[in-house]
Amino acid sequence: MSSRIFAALLRDTDGSPATEGESTASDDPEVRTDGGAVVDGADDPSSSTDTADASVITRLRRSRFLESLPFWGPPGLLVFFFVYGAISWNFLISLTGWEGLGAPDYSSLSTAAYTELLSDASFIAAFRNTIALLVVFTALSLVVGLFLAILVDQQIRFENTFRTIYLLPMSLSFVVTAIFWSWMYNPRIGLINVALRGVGLDALTQAWLSDPRFKLAAIIFALMWQFSGYCMVVYLAGLRAIPHDQYEAARIDGASTVRLYRRVIIPQLRASTMSAAVVLVVFALKAFDFLFVLFGVNPGSSADILSVMMFRVAFDRLQWAYGSAVAMVLFLMALSVIGPYLYLQYRRGEL
Amino acid sequence: MSQHDPSDDAERLTRRHYVAGAGAIATVTLAGCSDDGGSGDDGSSDDGSGDDGSMDDGSDDGSGDTSELEIVHWWTAGGEQDAFNALLDGFREANPDVEVVDNPAPGGAGSAIDAVIQNRVIDGNPPSTFQIWPGQALTPYTNEDLLEDIGDSVWDDEMRDAYLDGVVELSQPAGDLVAVPINIHRLNNLFYNVSVVEDAGVDPSTIDSPQGLLDALETIDAETDATPLAHQTQSPWSSLQLWENVFIGQQSVDDYQTLLDGDVEGLEDEVRSALELLADYLEYIPEDAGSITWDQGNDGLIAGDAAFLHQGDWAAGQYEGASDFEFSDDWDMVPFPGTSGVYHSVIDSFVFPTNNPSPEATEQFLNYAGTVDAQERFNPIKGSIPPRTDVPMDEFGDFLTRQFEDFQNSDSQPPTIAHGTGVAPAIHSALDETFANFNGNLDVDAAYEGIRDAF
Repeated sequence: MSSRIFAALLRDTDGSPATEGESTASDDPEVRTDGGAVVDGADDPSSSTDTADASVITRLRRSRFLESLPFWGPPGLLVFFFVYGAISWNFLISLTGWEGLGAPDYSSLSTAAYTELLSDASFIAAFRNTIALLVVFTALSLVVGLFLAILVDQQIRFENTFRTIYLLPMSLSFVVTAIFWSWMYNPRIGLINVALRGVGLDALTQAWLSDPRFKLAAIIFALMWQFSGYCMVVYLAGLRAIPHDQYEAARIDGASTVRLYRRVIIPQLRASTMSAAVVLVVFALKAFDFLFVLFGVNPGSSADILSVMMFRVAFDRLQWAYGSAVAMVLFLMALSVIGPYLYLQYRRGEL
Repeated sequence: MSQHDPSDDAERLTRRHYVAGAGAIATVTLAGCSDDGGSGDDGSSDDGSGDDGSMDDGSDDGSGDTSELEIVHWWTAGGEQDAFNALLDGFREANPDVEVVDNPAPGGAGSAIDAVIQNRVIDGNPPSTFQIWPGQALTPYTNEDLLEDIGDSVWDDEMRDAYLDGVVELSQPAGDLVAVPINIHRLNNLFYNVSVVEDAGVDPSTIDSPQGLLDALETIDAETDATPLAHQTQSPWSSLQLWENVFIGQQSVDDYQTLLDGDVEGLEDEVRSALELLADYLEYIPEDAGSITWDQGNDGLIAGDAAFLHQGDWAAGQYEGASDFEFSDDWDMVPFPGTSGVYHSVIDSFVFPTNNPSPEATEQFLNYAGTVDAQERFNPIKGSIPPRTDVPMDEFGDFLTRQFEDFQNSDSQPPTIAHGTGVAPAIHSALDETFANFNGNLDVDAAYEGIRDAF
């Protein structure tokens, strides 16, 4: 995915969208003949009819399944054990009621942890905050990223410099940005309140990170600052893939700039929006480090999110089963975002 | 490429065979590697070894007779690290044949060490010894018999006599003696900047109740520009420990013990009244209390921007380090109002995990940690008092010497909630969460319910 983005970035407006370029490439007969397996499939039936008494072994040796096995087998096994195996094991643990430092008891399984979740006020608060963070953060980052991308796309001077400046926060670790923003938000000496006071808006100064009303909003804003640069790059790649003719055609038809973007350009950025949104949502679900650095394991119910709650329940309270149940909820949330995305990609033949 | 050339076909076949062969070899190699890893490790890092580990007793294969002593601790901040190094120097002098592996898990007050130790203990791969609060914080380990009884090997009669009963009690939460306390901090301190309180006309030594402290905070707010109480609300533990002391100050140590035993509903009015007073206190804390750490708040006290600080006596180390800030001239401390006969103890200890990689060296270390020499080296630098009552106080300075006298004359040394000795980790964590919310919303009803549900 990212390689395609950068390829699109490098390509500079050459008139063909990235996705189209790839699909035409795979239709190209010359490229296909280079793949040994495909050619092999073509002459396989002829060889089996030549020697009618071909033994089972020969056929096995020739089967594409076995021949490709060394290539996908080992990585497949590793992924199976370490990803899907770990997820299944986590689910199993969530059913055991495992607490403390002993071994889990797999003999009596129940879904008690999940029913407990539903009546746990701190889970409900964390779930609500996670959803809010996910939706607001993703939407805001996309809007800001699109806006920046359109600005940077106007053939401005120092375009590369601006692009780097906007993308730079993305390269910083959450730990760095969390500490940085805790200074920004400091109610007494932080830049935000000092700036507000400087322009006479004393009434708007707040204890951003301790007042429950603003905590989550402050976190979302800081995360948006960090990720809107990424959205900008994705959108920029999308914009560069739109042929110039379309801009010209719209202009000739007398479309205003706003109308041009709203009716012609932005609808074509659907693929960019989708891919950026999926990445953002997954990051929002994992925003653990940012909150952990700011507040430790107890952000308070106004800013608690599921990933922090999962850590708190598991490592502070040694309630491993309950923590696993929270983890499963997080997993399902991520799956419910990525699943439809992958299915859509599959339907459109991009997988 | 489209025409059929037999030589081309054959050539391609061999090429394909090469690739297939290479793939097969790679697979076999990979399998071989993982096999080696499995057997070489003796399953110590394997998933299933949690059960295996606890079944074989004490001496782990191959590593039983090494004299490498791995110590996991969280003392990585300036003064703490110096104190720990002084302890290690003393131990190396006494036991030159043991090689010490210093393996810190940084993070204030054990925020990271728990995850490290728990994982290793569950995997059956514990370090030689690790730092932990005694008392209820040990219960997850004692519940699963993960700590060796060191009642005979380490706690000889001489050592038992030297410790106060309350401290010995905390070292045996489940009956057996399993921990060696190395230091004691006092929690119920009210530090103050002498010149600020004098400017406001407040005499801390005459404040005799938690309510009286609120009046003093009001006076300071009215009379000076200083922040009355240098408190932090970024993480919940400071408010939790302040609430504990308000509770003891308003009620009694007996009521506090009843609370620790879990009878919250019987003490509803008392709990609420402490919460209400705490909410009043929190009107007088720094504007940026939610963005600072406790030591940043303490810097304000040193600079004369704040009057009072409620904190464990580790805060005094910061005063020692500040220039031109002398004990009794510039700063001083009174016991938290209403708790003068109480030495509210925050204790660190070392334990002997079962399945120990170096049983002999661990025993040597624990024996050493219980000696006068060890505690005399460690505590003056750490800013705490020794749990042994027979340690000479020459090196300790005026403040700690006074604290030590208070300790020996104290009526009771109750354990604390905020620092793990008083309640099991699950309760502690639930209370932390309650006070994280309370810091934000000052909602007494919600906090009471949180406390009730936690126990």
